Amino acid sequence: MSNVNSVTFTIVVILFVLVTFIGFAASRWRRADNMLHLNEWGLAGRGFGTFITWFLLGGDLYTAYTFIAVPALVFGSGSIGFYAVSYTIMVFPIAYIFLPRLWSVSRVHNYVTPGDFIRGRYGSRGLALSMALTGILALMPYIALQLVGIQAVLSVMGVGTSSTNTYVKDLPLFIAFVVLAVYTYVSGLRAPAAISFVKDTLIYVFVLVAIFYIPTRLGGWGHIFGTAQAHYAAINPTTGKPNGTFIPTSKSIGATQFDFATLALGSALALFVYPHTITGTLASKRRSVVKRNMSLLPAYSLLLALIALFGYMAVADPVTAANVKKAGNAQLAVPYLFQHMFPSWFTGIAFAGIIIGALVPAAIMAIAAANLFTRNIFKEFFKPDASPALETRMSQWASLVVKFGALLFAIELPHTFSINLQLLGGVWILQVFPMLVGGLFTRWFHRWALLAGWLAGMAYGTIAAYNVKNATASHWASSSDIVFGHTIYIGFTAVIINAVIAVVLTLVFRAVKAPEGADETLPHQYTADPDKTPAPVPAGVGLGAD
Amino acid sequence: MTETAASPSGPRGSQDPSITYRNPVAAHPITSTAIALLLLVTIGGTLIVPIYARITPKIGDFPFFYFYLLAYMPAVGVALWLVSLLQRRLEPPTAGSSDDSVREAAR
Repeated sequence: MSNVNSVTFTIVVILFVLVTFIGFAASRWRRADNMLHLNEWGLAGRGFGTFITWFLLGGDLYTAYTFIAVPALVFGSGSIGFYAVSYTIMVFPIAYIFLPRLWSVSRVHNYVTPGDFIRGRYGSRGLALSMALTGILALMPYIALQLVGIQAVLSVMGVGTSSTNTYVKDLPLFIAFVVLAVYTYVSGLRAPAAISFVKDTLIYVFVLVAIFYIPTRLGGWGHIFGTAQAHYAAINPTTGKPNGTFIPTSKSIGATQFDFATLALGSALALFVYPHTITGTLASKRRSVVKRNMSLLPAYSLLLALIALFGYMAVADPVTAANVKKAGNAQLAVPYLFQHMFPSWFTGIAFAGIIIGALVPAAIMAIAAANLFTRNIFKEFFKPDASPALETRMSQWASLVVKFGALLFAIELPHTFSINLQLLGGVWILQVFPMLVGGLFTRWFHRWALLAGWLAGMAYGTIAAYNVKNATASHWASSSDIVFGHTIYIGFTAVIINAVIAVVLTLVFRAVKAPEGADETLPHQYTADPDKTPAPVPAGVGLGAD
Repeated sequence: MTETAASPSGPRGSQDPSITYRNPVAAHPITSTAIALLLLVTIGGTLIVPIYARITPKIGDFPFFYFYLLAYMPAVGVALWLVSLLQRRLEPPTAGSSDDSVREAAR
């Protein structure tokens, strides 16, 4: 730890300690009589209003991956990275269409996870299991990526011992994560909700300061865009191709407009079927809170667009560009940019913002994965008579297991690999879209057809992603491939295959009159706005009690 | 559970929501169309990339592509707020009491 800036380091540590204190204190926040219930630990009492939900969902959606990986992609490839901006624009009108319905039906039936809804809607344990497995599978690498983001910041800070043993070298990361795991265990969803206030305040401050201050140091926006445009048009000597694109091209292969659009649409469809965003949604107290947030959350998207522009600033700043090139890791672009541009105390604030910005979603994701495991695997297949208290204990332990699984993921696997697994996570989670969102609007789809479509989409998506290669990697090189002569997002192709199979097989199963399964929901429940959750002892609620 | 009253075997009064429930989309065709259009235009405006994938005209120092994406964010917020206002007109009379601003104020 020779080249650590002591001011930066001290500020990061102080803010981390503050957040840890809040995390533990949160267990007393809005305390209920009976805390041993998943509605309390897993959904913080389902009572959050517009303001808290805004922070919580914002914390959910904009993760370390956003702060590190989006500018890294912009830095490395140019305009294609801005698909993330387009995606965070269209995600809100899309979510506006189905999310209030999911909130209503989940509130009426006391569903805690999307798997509970699938179980109730289709009367199918198997389909709910497929939802739970997909959710957990997709969340693990996502949590691991939060750690990779923290590692990126720590390595630029110079924190970490020089030991060759990865566990000793990553000791600071390890400590941060153990602390996170413990307060999540104790406080449940209340911890990330309370911490997200601090986190977002830090992030809004450093992003707004950076966006006005850095261009003055780099000769203005005209110079930043000019340098970027020239850089991406230049031919890279090793690949013989341009460094990237400054505007998505209208050609059919490469960083095309079509690829841009399918990446954006695919990601937008996927975001609100991720279990952790659903957890954040179900924790809100009213249907109108969900709707109102859809028009308030674009403020975060604006922030994301500004963060993406940091990628161009890193290109325009010769020192940062050289540092990143030397490290050979585009993910260090934003940390290096801040370190070079800001005084060390402000760098500390920005770095703390990114680290805490990684811890909050990691906690929510672990809670969401744990709830899926408890409700749709443990209770469903192993202990149908589990009491609410046992469910809660199970979820608490499962959240620890999920976190340490993700930690191993982050430390053991090469980083490029874990990032590609995250892309794969997006491809996977998109495959539950037909059953989940389809089910919110119609019971027309047959449960077996949905299961077959899901299987096909998962298989196609995984194989197609495995087969993508480029100059440096022989597998998992990108989340787009070429279909019928056009570059397209793999998840998008997969979900279309999935939906087509679901439609065709539904016609077949209906023709042969295969058993449809019971539906415990009623049409008006999808628009209901009950004031209170149903009675807090729902032993069989959501599991076919009717 | 509260919804057992609405199950097929349960007694059905005139206030039973499963009977009085009427699809609000069918009841208000014009408002519903306006909502659908607003949502579609908001999605299409960023999904159809050729609309804005160009450098000129520059707004200040910002190439059009980047300016467009930045300017779109506040527009989405406003569009969705308008949609939520329009949706209030769709609410069936029985759900009138669920006007949350009234309820929240009453607390």
